[in-house]
Amino acid sequence: MNYFLGMLACAFAVSAAAEDGVTAGSIKIGVMGPFTGNASSYSKAQIGLDAYYKWVNDQGGVNGRKIETVLEDYACDSAKGVAAVKKLIHQDKVFMLHGNSCSAVAMAIKPIVVEAGIPWVVAHAANGNISSPPVKNIFHGVPVGKTMGIAMGQFVASKPGLTKVAVISHTDDWAKSYCGPANEYLASKNIKPVVQEAFERGQTDSTAQTLKIKQANPDFVIACLYEAETAIFLKDAKKYGLNVPVMGTAGTDLENTLKRVGDLNTVANYYVPHMYADNLDGPRLKKFGDILKKYYPNESVTAFSLIAMGSAMAVVEALKRTGREPTRDKLITELDRTKDFDTGVLAGHISWSPSDRDGVKDVAVAGFVKGKPTVLKAWGKPL
Amino acid sequence: MFALQLALSGLAQGAIYALVALSMCVVYRATTVVNFGHGDLVMAGAFVVYVLVVLAGLPFLASAVLAVALLFLLGVLIEIGLIERIKAGPHIGFALMCIGFGYVLRGIARGVWGREVLPMPTVFDFPPVIAGDLVVTADALIIFAAVGVLLALFFVLFYRSSAGRVMQAVCQSERGAALVGINVRAFHGVMWGAGAALGAVGGVLIAPLTLLHPGLGASFLIKGFAAMTLGGFGSLGGAVAGGLLLGLAEQWVGGYVSTKLIDVTAYLVIILVLALRPNGLFGRAVAERV
Repeated sequence: MNYFLGMLACAFAVSAAAEDGVTAGSIKIGVMGPFTGNASSYSKAQIGLDAYYKWVNDQGGVNGRKIETVLEDYACDSAKGVAAVKKLIHQDKVFMLHGNSCSAVAMAIKPIVVEAGIPWVVAHAANGNISSPPVKNIFHGVPVGKTMGIAMGQFVASKPGLTKVAVISHTDDWAKSYCGPANEYLASKNIKPVVQEAFERGQTDSTAQTLKIKQANPDFVIACLYEAETAIFLKDAKKYGLNVPVMGTAGTDLENTLKRVGDLNTVANYYVPHMYADNLDGPRLKKFGDILKKYYPNESVTAFSLIAMGSAMAVVEALKRTGREPTRDKLITELDRTKDFDTGVLAGHISWSPSDRDGVKDVAVAGFVKGKPTVLKAWGKPL
Repeated sequence: MFALQLALSGLAQGAIYALVALSMCVVYRATTVVNFGHGDLVMAGAFVVYVLVVLAGLPFLASAVLAVALLFLLGVLIEIGLIERIKAGPHIGFALMCIGFGYVLRGIARGVWGREVLPMPTVFDFPPVIAGDLVVTADALIIFAAVGVLLALFFVLFYRSSAGRVMQAVCQSERGAALVGINVRAFHGVMWGAGAALGAVGGVLIAPLTLLHPGLGASFLIKGFAAMTLGGFGSLGGAVAGGLLLGLAEQWVGGYVSTKLIDVTAYLVIILVLALRPNGLFGRAVAERV
């Protein structure tokens, strides 16, 4: 009998040891983010994620194990992203992946992650094609571009008297993931863009685009641009007297955009999707801001800082349910059992299933009201 | 009016491309080295002025002068410490060395400001001049004025002063210049310094208009190459004309053809010029007697 129990214990031990990234005292999670480069402020999402896991460790960890994060930089560059994720999977041998801003990079690494079969919770990148059609091991932990694009379209359409919309965007998948659904929603209301202009990443001037948009005399501009280009476009819009509201994407936030253009007048009419349950400085988000500040005291809190904490909470809950012997298959099963999970930080609840990995489906919009970032449910209607 | 507005913006952008192209051309003409790290010198100039204005609290003008002086020194040090040492080696060594120091500069910026895209405080905060539908911004006026004065000074120095004649002598024949007692080595250092300083001026001028990040110089390197190619390799005036024409071409292509083509205009210029007129608009074919 003792011999049989001993063999059984050994079998369990071998089974546990065979799962990459899990030891007696730790679970290793790979966190890839754009920690450098001109999209590096997105990595605040991964910093927030890391802070949350550190906080979980200080609360005793997950079923007696500490979470060990391995941070890898890819500078929002697809080639570097592929190298980073290969390193995490094959060299660091992490148990799961939880990361990624920059949708183009996420799309580049997707085939590698699918082939490896390692669970990946997408922390920040919004392209819906990352998790749809669903594959066994990929889960989206933030609203996807389609959800946000529709919210953008709904907000734009809620402006009374709106008839003409202009679009300025990058030509990559990321921009299409926002602008496509926004345009589709507006088309369903018989509003088609009067002009669509391209403004590529790295350009330092948008005069041609701004003048062409001004000529079209729109009531609203939809800007599917990264942060630097958003700031340049808003400055040029002010310079050339294009005085119409601009609907941006979740790739930008109000606080950083204000900091970058340096002038409240320039951003007074700028709106972005808002994924949180409250204003960033509101009482419901204070706890999460405090967690970030505890582990990263010099980190400023922006709209990206807390965005991945919601999915981190869902991961921790799923890991707890896997028990003392977590495996990747068990984790995938438990993540799929996440239903209507209220994180307290995200506006929408998280629900995953094998047929739907687009976990969060509610988004508001934020804009400046009387100089203060304010969450809005429709044009002129604060939450 | 639309065309004129595009032209004004194109010339302002083109003036910065002209500076970058001229600074690359200065080094190329003096040393035959194509500086593949030049974009990072532009970036370094922008970051130095950011440090002096934002962190040290100095006035913009003083910071700009100091940044240009520091970049001049850096250019001299690069020549003495890196380029001169490999002079006897194959020419590819120069290119690799330039790429190397460019990446080191980028790495330093990343090490210090890694995750930030930095805004410069507004410097040229004057109301635009509005004539009918035409908007002439303070940015554009200051860029025109600064680049115009700088180019005038440079060309007067290069073509009309005795120091300039010495420079021209070395450019034409290093051996001949050395034989008449000109310190060619010191000349190379000065020209690298001048190239870096001119590039830094481009960075200083672009810094308040855009956002700073360590990869900022990459696009200016391509624009600089395109402008040099268009103007003719080694032609100082050609580099300036090439920069201005490239700025105009980008805006007009964006305004009248498609904004999707703005980003590829520089590459199209390089391809078309090399295919149709390899010596550019103002370059001259050099015949070598063998």
